[in-house]
Amino acid sequence: MEARTEIPPGTLYMLILKTLMRVGPMHGYGIAQHIQQISEEILRVEEGSLYPALQRMLIKGWVAAEWKQSENNRRARFYRLTPAGRKQLAAEIAEFARVMEAITRVIQPA
Amino acid sequence: MILEFLRRVAHYLRRRRFEQELDEEMRHHLALKERDSGSTEAAHTQFGNVALLKEDSRAMWTWTLFEQLAQDLRYALRAMINNRAFTALAALSLALGIGANTAIYSFMDSILLRSLPVSDHQSLVMLNWHAQARGGGPQGKAGKQAKGVAIMHGMISTSGSTYIDPQKGFTGAIFPYPAFELFRKNDTVFSSVFSYYQAGNLNFTIKGQADLAIGEYVSGDYFHGLGVPPAAGRLIISDDDQAGAPPVAVVSYAYSQRRFGSAVNASGQSILINNVPFTVVGVTPPEFFGVDPAAAPDCYLPMHSNLVLETGRGPFGGLAERYLDQNTYWIEVMARLRPGASLAQAQAALAGPFHQWVAGTATNDRERADLPALVIKEGGGGLDVLRRQYSRPLYVLMTLVALILGIACANIANLLLARAAARRREIAVRLSMGAGRLRVVRQLLTESVLLAFLGGVLGVLFATWGIRFLTLLLANGRPNFTFRADLNWHVLGATMALSLLTGLLFGLAPAIQSTRVDLIPALKESGEPTRLRNSFWRVSLSQVFLVSQIALCLPMLVAAGLFLRTLSNLQSIELGFSRDNVLLFQLNARQAGHRDPEIAVFYGDLQKRFSEIPGVRSASLSNLPLIGGGAFSEPVSVAGSQPNPSAGNRILSVGPSFFTTMRIPILLGREIGERDQPGSPLVAVVNELFAKANFGDQNPIGQHLTLGGPRDAHPRDLEIVGVSKNARYGSLKQDFPPVVYIPYNQSSVPPLNQMTYALRTSVDPLAYVNTVREIVQRADARVPVANVKTQTVQIEQTINQEITFARLCSLFAILALAIACVGLYGSMAYNVARRTGEIGIRMALGAPRGGVVWLVLRSVLVLAGVGLAIGLSTSFAASKLVDSLLFGMKSNDPLALSLAVATLLCAAVLAGYIPARRASRIDPMIALRH
Repeated sequence: MEARTEIPPGTLYMLILKTLMRVGPMHGYGIAQHIQQISEEILRVEEGSLYPALQRMLIKGWVAAEWKQSENNRRARFYRLTPAGRKQLAAEIAEFARVMEAITRVIQPA
Repeated sequence: MILEFLRRVAHYLRRRRFEQELDEEMRHHLALKERDSGSTEAAHTQFGNVALLKEDSRAMWTWTLFEQLAQDLRYALRAMINNRAFTALAALSLALGIGANTAIYSFMDSILLRSLPVSDHQSLVMLNWHAQARGGGPQGKAGKQAKGVAIMHGMISTSGSTYIDPQKGFTGAIFPYPAFELFRKNDTVFSSVFSYYQAGNLNFTIKGQADLAIGEYVSGDYFHGLGVPPAAGRLIISDDDQAGAPPVAVVSYAYSQRRFGSAVNASGQSILINNVPFTVVGVTPPEFFGVDPAAAPDCYLPMHSNLVLETGRGPFGGLAERYLDQNTYWIEVMARLRPGASLAQAQAALAGPFHQWVAGTATNDRERADLPALVIKEGGGGLDVLRRQYSRPLYVLMTLVALILGIACANIANLLLARAAARRREIAVRLSMGAGRLRVVRQLLTESVLLAFLGGVLGVLFATWGIRFLTLLLANGRPNFTFRADLNWHVLGATMALSLLTGLLFGLAPAIQSTRVDLIPALKESGEPTRLRNSFWRVSLSQVFLVSQIALCLPMLVAAGLFLRTLSNLQSIELGFSRDNVLLFQLNARQAGHRDPEIAVFYGDLQKRFSEIPGVRSASLSNLPLIGGGAFSEPVSVAGSQPNPSAGNRILSVGPSFFTTMRIPILLGREIGERDQPGSPLVAVVNELFAKANFGDQNPIGQHLTLGGPRDAHPRDLEIVGVSKNARYGSLKQDFPPVVYIPYNQSSVPPLNQMTYALRTSVDPLAYVNTVREIVQRADARVPVANVKTQTVQIEQTINQEITFARLCSLFAILALAIACVGLYGSMAYNVARRTGEIGIRMALGAPRGGVVWLVLRSVLVLAGVGLAIGLSTSFAASKLVDSLLFGMKSNDPLALSLAVATLLCAAVLAGYIPARRASRIDPMIALRH
């Protein structure tokens, strides 16, 4: 089995939210595919964590879901960003950037 | 919080739709993935564990814990129904263990731990004193009676809370009346001081119906001090407790129901007590039983009413003098501490004044050498007579039932272990499907807790029966046995905790072991595994359980053996008289109004009438029964010499043909007969021991004795007319005492009060009870016939504790043995079934049938041997604790030990032989085809 890079802990919500902002309403498979493509196959989303994450985001109100026709003419649950989700995304990106910057400072040779 | 709760409730209501939607979403995902990757298998592999994913998604919305619990419970119930035999066996052995524990604990709770049902029982204290008690007298078992505290010229102890402890000396709960007045004056630490003593049986005549009631004399402050409110009318107050006050009585709630119909009816009634008119002024509350948990009085009387009830002079003078006497100890004293005062403060405040007072009552140096010292104890639990009598037996029983529970738990753990081995495949499947290890452990734990719970519920049922059975055993036919134990909430809580703890305890070991499964081989396993390398000799958890069961079983068998031998020793004791076909009953004519000298005539006439009943061979009477009524003593000596107080001489006053009736052989001279009347020369019959001690080899016939001590104003001169063989008098367990038998009607020593009649009959003695009652009724309807029983029953009642003990221990030992054998049989049978293939190969290769039997039996014997070795060493150590409960033997009795070992070995071999025989019947052809 090829080596897969785990998504850094805590960043999955951010990746999902960003994907939904970029591509609009999308189903679970589409979200996973999108993250994989944009990251050039480095980041792979496990279904086992994707769907529980989506459920949690539904509970928190960051995304909303509705059943629509998908590209293969089947019913699929499409997730869409809510205003609360948009706010959350901004907060998470800011936080992530701050942490990244800090980490970079630590590991860069001075 | 509330929002979240609502959300979860909402989810619960539409959970089916949620599941469907989640399913559809997964299917959609898989379909797209299949389209992209072009292969179904790849899509599934990459998708991972669908069930777990769904579980995780569901977890966001619901109370997983509850849902899983419900699931686990449903599953556990299904498993139980599928394994009925296992469930029944496990629950039953657990129920027996828990039931026995609850029953014994209930008794412990009500005897050792319960406090008096009065308000603020913590502030009650009991006044005692402590003294060295001089030694002297014959040492050994009879030595106890010869001891005493010199300052007590007289001692009348009614409750048994005054006693000698060989290590600690003399503990007294009785005081002279002046000492009580001293405590009452000292009111800095006590808000009230009150006293009481048992009045014994009183003759109650209510509307012409005579009956006996147990009475208690109480001081005026008794009910006020205890803080007991009346259930009807009023209780005794200080004004009632004065010489010459109008005689009043308070009856217990139970007695008011029994004799008056209700509490309200009782108050205000005029009755006769010992032929003296009294007024019932009130009724105590239903839960009140006095201060002694061992005895619930029927009625309470002001202490000073004993002046009108107990007429005649006792051995220590008249009652009016007794109130003033500083050296006669007779009343028990309790007090209530003032708010804020502590026990230590009370002790400090009163020890000095009491010492001063008691020093002033000493008349010589011998008395001054051993002055009683005041000891104030907690009184909230009431008198500790019952506690002292039963605490050791109860702790022993509690240990035994705890052992039973231990055996039951080991047994169930073993059964669960065997079942867990059988369930390896099921658990492997669950684990491979993605079930968490913790989740599987939880499932298994749920099953065992449920089992334990079932055992607990059944156990409570067994406990209720057990308590009833135990009460019956303890009462042993005594009608006035008032002691009752209830299954109370403490007990119920303790049981439930016990059953839960048990569940966790025996659930945990197999649960952890069975989830440590290596998945792949377990999955491949099908049906009966044949593992040659897994020999019998490997020490497994199961073997540990079996060995511990045997090791726990042995002490119980040893205990049963010890107590059964003790009982048989007691039952085969040489009495010196014949116990068969003797009817005993008691009459008290003095309480019905008969007075000297007419009372002796009344008793004598009755004796003649009883002996004329067809079928009665002879009838007689004595002031005390030979066994179980205590023993009377009074200084007696060879004429002209000083009485020796440490000789332990006993006096029994008897009627004509007493020796014939009791079948005590007369060795020399004659027995006391009709010719010995008031007015004729005073005579005596002595027993061998007395004759030997006082006359050596001389013929005692015709010798004279002096009855009465040096202080006695009227010593009596007796002529010895006969010598009898030794016979028991007083206690069954103590050595034969030296006894002087005197006619009951010749001297007023002992005073003629209650008499015990004995009828030697030709057939069942109880067949004559009605005739006896008719005769007494005709003679005087005011005299009730009391304590009717056969001599055999009476002796049994005095060794009741030993009988109960022997029965319970045998029962427990059988129970333990049965549980252990079932466990041994079960795991051997399981082992044989598992090794069918191996045994088949052995037999195919030419192993003889006997060899196969030996193969299985050998492992049983090794287990039994190890268990016995451990059990024997613990038995040796533990049996020392029961030494004081044994009679006529030592705790390391070789017979009891070897009997226990033999029984256990036999049972183990039997339990192992059945599976062994089955193993030897295995057909190699069939076994190898597996």
